[in-house]
Amino acid sequence: MKSEVRSLPPQAPRLKISGTSLSGGRKPALEGFNQELEVRKTGSYEVKRVGLLSFSASQLLKFSFLAFTVCCLLPTVFTGCAKKEDTIKIGVAGPMTGDQAKMGMDLKNGVELAVSEWNERSGVLGKKIELLTEDDQHDPKLAVAVANKLANSGAAGVVGHWNSSASIPASEVYKEGGNIPMITPASTNPQLTERGFENVFRVCGRDDQQGKLAAEFVISSLKIKKVAIIHDKTTYGQGLADEFKKAIGSAADVVYYGVIIQGDKDFRAVLTSIKGKKPELIYFGGIYPEAGLLVKQARELGIKTPFMSGDGTIDKEFIKIASKENAEGTYLTFSPDPSNIATAKAFLDKYHAKYGEHGPYSIYAYDAANILLTGISKAGVTDGKRVSDEIHKLTYEGALGAIQFDQKGDVLKAPYIVWITKDGEFKEYWKPGEE
Amino acid sequence: MFLQQLINGLTLGSVYALIALGYTMVYGILQLINFAHGEIYMIGAYLAIIVLGVLTATGFSATNLPLAILLAFIVSGIFCGAYGLTLERVAYRPLRHAHRLSPLISAIGMSIFLQNYVMLSQGAVDKVFPHIIPTKGIEIAGASISYLQIFILVASFILMIALHLFIKKTRLGKAMRATSQDSRMASLVGIDSNKVIAVTFVIGSMLAAAAGVMVAMYYGVVNFFIGYTAGIKAFTAAVLGGIGNIPGAMLGGLLLGLVEGLGASYISSEYKDVFAFTILILVLIFRPTGLLGERIGEKV
Repeated sequence: MKSEVRSLPPQAPRLKISGTSLSGGRKPALEGFNQELEVRKTGSYEVKRVGLLSFSASQLLKFSFLAFTVCCLLPTVFTGCAKKEDTIKIGVAGPMTGDQAKMGMDLKNGVELAVSEWNERSGVLGKKIELLTEDDQHDPKLAVAVANKLANSGAAGVVGHWNSSASIPASEVYKEGGNIPMITPASTNPQLTERGFENVFRVCGRDDQQGKLAAEFVISSLKIKKVAIIHDKTTYGQGLADEFKKAIGSAADVVYYGVIIQGDKDFRAVLTSIKGKKPELIYFGGIYPEAGLLVKQARELGIKTPFMSGDGTIDKEFIKIASKENAEGTYLTFSPDPSNIATAKAFLDKYHAKYGEHGPYSIYAYDAANILLTGISKAGVTDGKRVSDEIHKLTYEGALGAIQFDQKGDVLKAPYIVWITKDGEFKEYWKPGEE
Repeated sequence: MFLQQLINGLTLGSVYALIALGYTMVYGILQLINFAHGEIYMIGAYLAIIVLGVLTATGFSATNLPLAILLAFIVSGIFCGAYGLTLERVAYRPLRHAHRLSPLISAIGMSIFLQNYVMLSQGAVDKVFPHIIPTKGIEIAGASISYLQIFILVASFILMIALHLFIKKTRLGKAMRATSQDSRMASLVGIDSNKVIAVTFVIGSMLAAAAGVMVAMYYGVVNFFIGYTAGIKAFTAAVLGGIGNIPGAMLGGLLLGLVEGLGASYISSEYKDVFAFTILILVLIFRPTGLLGERIGEKV
């Protein structure tokens, strides 16, 4: 540890000073904060550092407060400078790290591709576009923090977030931060667009549509009488499971309705209880990390019942976690395969060349970014309210086909279909109206 | 169904017990709670995935599965032992005579450091264990017990018995017991306490590595954050059994696993973690020294 040596008159007596009253023998726990001043025989005295820091507790508090204030001020200073630069900033936010990082990456790649295309064509409003990527770790609290950061750094619009539980609180920040338009590629919880926010849009469908379709499939095509329902307690998972349950109504018995905790890795307790109820189908409202483990552990416990889940599960990671054999025959609701859409071909080719295989929501992120930038370009300004108005009026011909928003910010057409997992791939399986 | 839940709980509990042993051994000797212990376990799980990933890619584990798993245990044990040794040298030994708080803060620092180190070097995305473990098992009275569960139970009991014998029967074990009773007195009679402490860290880390390998196989998914929850659970187990007490850690781990498993299935899976910590609070109120901890009076 460092020590300071200062000169002192040689006649000074040897003394030992304890910094504050905290040094009382009764509280050895705080000893580490005290200064010990020892005068050497040579006439210089030395400040010995005992423990980690030589500040007293109150000094430490003051210092940390100061450091905190400086840290808070710094970004403002920098953005103040950055505003003079000639760029238009748009944000992209989602789970960039953690168990759902694959989704965040898909989202970011899709937006990045759109932005790079716009920049090649001289940007928007004559300025280059700068992409601000933020990680919300699918945590509602962090989503609010990240949304504030984006709003403060002058983002003209945001593509994101991925999870409904992040999008809903974040949308309130964007609303208050000057009606910053927010287009989510993936948040399907109905609540998001039910609060009358004019700056909130989604290019995907809603869980009330998705849950209804799943129930229709289970009742009319599989003709199943006993289902078990599990969800992960998130806004998305619980919302979807409840929509499914509502749509099932009395057409089938819900023999089990239970909860798992997101981030948990052991679901054997819940699965064992389900095993005793002998359902014919297990419906899961949640996302692929838990879905994969549920299917894997169910098979290990000897449960052969087919699983069904929603759009949060339709990613290769699900099959990777569950293993090909275990995932076989899992039903999933999602929109039709973009590979069969003629307009998506150009996007898919470019995406594959740059980032490899596309995720379920890559194309949605790409279209969302294009819609946002078209809105800004049509409005001629970055004012949130005017851009949002333009997006509402827009009929956008994108990679997914024509996209148009209703008054709430939902897409007019959201075709959900049922997919099946077969030989380690997702295949289109059933469309409404079929047997 | 009860039997199934019992087996599920015991499997989980034996893993907790293995991690808890590391906490309790270090506490017994240094009165230090090694918060970085959970991270050693996490590194052990990662090493298992790396070793078995390589062996699966080369086709070795398809023909020699038991040998491949044994190799994963050995490699992971050696590396984690080295991590434990380094941890003690770098973060704790320089602070041996400092105030008690200093090594504690150092431990938290190492925990954060190791987590981020693994996140940066291995990526923030979940790592999936290669699907090479057969999912088959045996059926007893409607409960299916997978071979993996049997393996985990047997392996962890063997390790615990081996540890027990090591501490009771060997010279080094005797030295460890002596150091934990009174380290100054032990060094006066010629025990190299630094060596004993280093050995304790290595053994604790190797047990955590074994737990890590087993959990990687059992859950199938590993990320850089698993050490945190497992560390807290194992710490709870150690306190439950009486921290510093080796049979106590084993008992505490098994009990914790059982309470979690049975509570989650018969009461509510939402409150799985709540049961574990409720037990902890009850034990701390009514038996602060833990289930097997002795009531020690003030040292004179």
